[in-house]
Amino acid sequence: MAAQTPVSDDIFPKHTDKTFALVELVRGESAMVDKGPDDTVFAFPIVLLWEIVLSLGITLAIFLFSLIKQAPLEEIANPFVTTDPAKAPWYFIGLQELLEHMHPVVAGVLIPGALVLFLVVLPYIDHAREDAGIWFASARGKRIVVWTAIYAAVAMTAYIVLDNAFSLRELLRSVAPQWIAQGLLPAAIIALIVILPALALWRLKANTRQVMLALFTVMIVSAVVLTVSGFLFRGPGFKLYLPWQMPNGYNPWDGL
Amino acid sequence: MTRSSLLTPLTESRVWRSFFRHGLPDNPLDRSLVMTTNIFFHLHPVKVSRPSLRWSYSFGLGIISAILFALLVWSGLLLMFYYAPTIERAYPTMKDIQMTVPLGQFTRNMHRWAAHAMVLAVILHMARVFYTGAFKPPREFNWIVGVVLLLLTLGASFTGYLLPWDQLAYWAITVGTNIASYAPVAGPMMRELLLGGTEVGQNSLLRFYTLHVAILPLLIGLLVSLHIWRVRKDGGLAARRNSEVK
Repeated sequence: MAAQTPVSDDIFPKHTDKTFALVELVRGESAMVDKGPDDTVFAFPIVLLWEIVLSLGITLAIFLFSLIKQAPLEEIANPFVTTDPAKAPWYFIGLQELLEHMHPVVAGVLIPGALVLFLVVLPYIDHAREDAGIWFASARGKRIVVWTAIYAAVAMTAYIVLDNAFSLRELLRSVAPQWIAQGLLPAAIIALIVILPALALWRLKANTRQVMLALFTVMIVSAVVLTVSGFLFRGPGFKLYLPWQMPNGYNPWDGL
Repeated sequence: MTRSSLLTPLTESRVWRSFFRHGLPDNPLDRSLVMTTNIFFHLHPVKVSRPSLRWSYSFGLGIISAILFALLVWSGLLLMFYYAPTIERAYPTMKDIQMTVPLGQFTRNMHRWAAHAMVLAVILHMARVFYTGAFKPPREFNWIVGVVLLLLTLGASFTGYLLPWDQLAYWAITVGTNIASYAPVAGPMMRELLLGGTEVGQNSLLRFYTLHVAILPLLIGLLVSLHIWRVRKDGGLAARRNSEVK
């Protein structure tokens, strides 16, 4: 650049090359007062204080709960006496509930396998960075989550109740081969329940993030419905009962 | 005299300096050094974005999971002093822990409720990370580490479930491992590998015990370190882009 002499005018230097200039000084707070350029604070001591407070709080909560509720201990293990009902731990009871409705390969292998696969590939499908760090991405995203949550809760509950009342496996036992009645058909119903909101959103020109919000919500709400059904509503013979009308004095909470 | 001038002779002393490589953390330099020169703190970033500190953003679920894990290690170690993983002694030692060991029942309660709480906290943490989009680039790999940690947490809880050797434990594990055996070809093999036989017995108890007290906690400890370190390397908690560290 050619040597130029800026015209110095005390506090407002003027430069012949520039199309902008400092024209006025205003007293007041800038948007960045007391903030780093990225709105950050030192982790010491605020983060450590948070961690100490949380540690004390969580320990106290577990401490108090342990004072009032005893961990269960039943009779010594006996391979010759089956408990009724025999239930998996609560975090696997959703799978046990699914086993009531379809072939074990679908309920015990294909569906959990598909869930883990979905979780692993998720960040490579939904990779737009714009909405990172924002709950539900947008107001529309939030609506999608609320409505798919309601939809999944109703659809899965209906599926459990209907399949319990008119079991597909029993109705089709003599009509269709086992792999259709217990494998293909229930798998297709579950797939339909999962894919329906995604298809609807696709028609409504939703973006990838919004479709993923719907799929994840269907997954997690279905898991909750299945877990609650298996844990609270299954009694002796793994049959459906209302939790407060369990026969033989069985209390689902005893097995926690 | 100010507080820092009172403490300066201490923090400048040779003994202090041999322990800590920094002065009193009341200025930006020492506040950075306190994090970077300490093995326990260095997993944290030096600076954190203000939006990501908001309680309503993360609900602290990741830290809560880690705290519950620490509680579990502590209460679990105490229980290990009394518990014997053989089918003859497991149940009697459980009775001992509940009846005669001072605070035994209480320690066991802490261990069980913290275990359930940790499974719940980890699942909620995953949901939080998903709904805030905090798995997005460059954090994809850390999300996968998180998925593995979820599976390890379930595994740690499941293997611990058998140890009391009561009817609840025995039949829950029988039902749970039956689900695994439905996988074609590999299923029955995996079940036999896990149980050390065709049904739940002495071999299963020893295998579950080893997984529960050594292998799974070590793996979880290792991966949690990686997980937290990656959060720092990827620029802290995902916050709105305009306030994210570039």
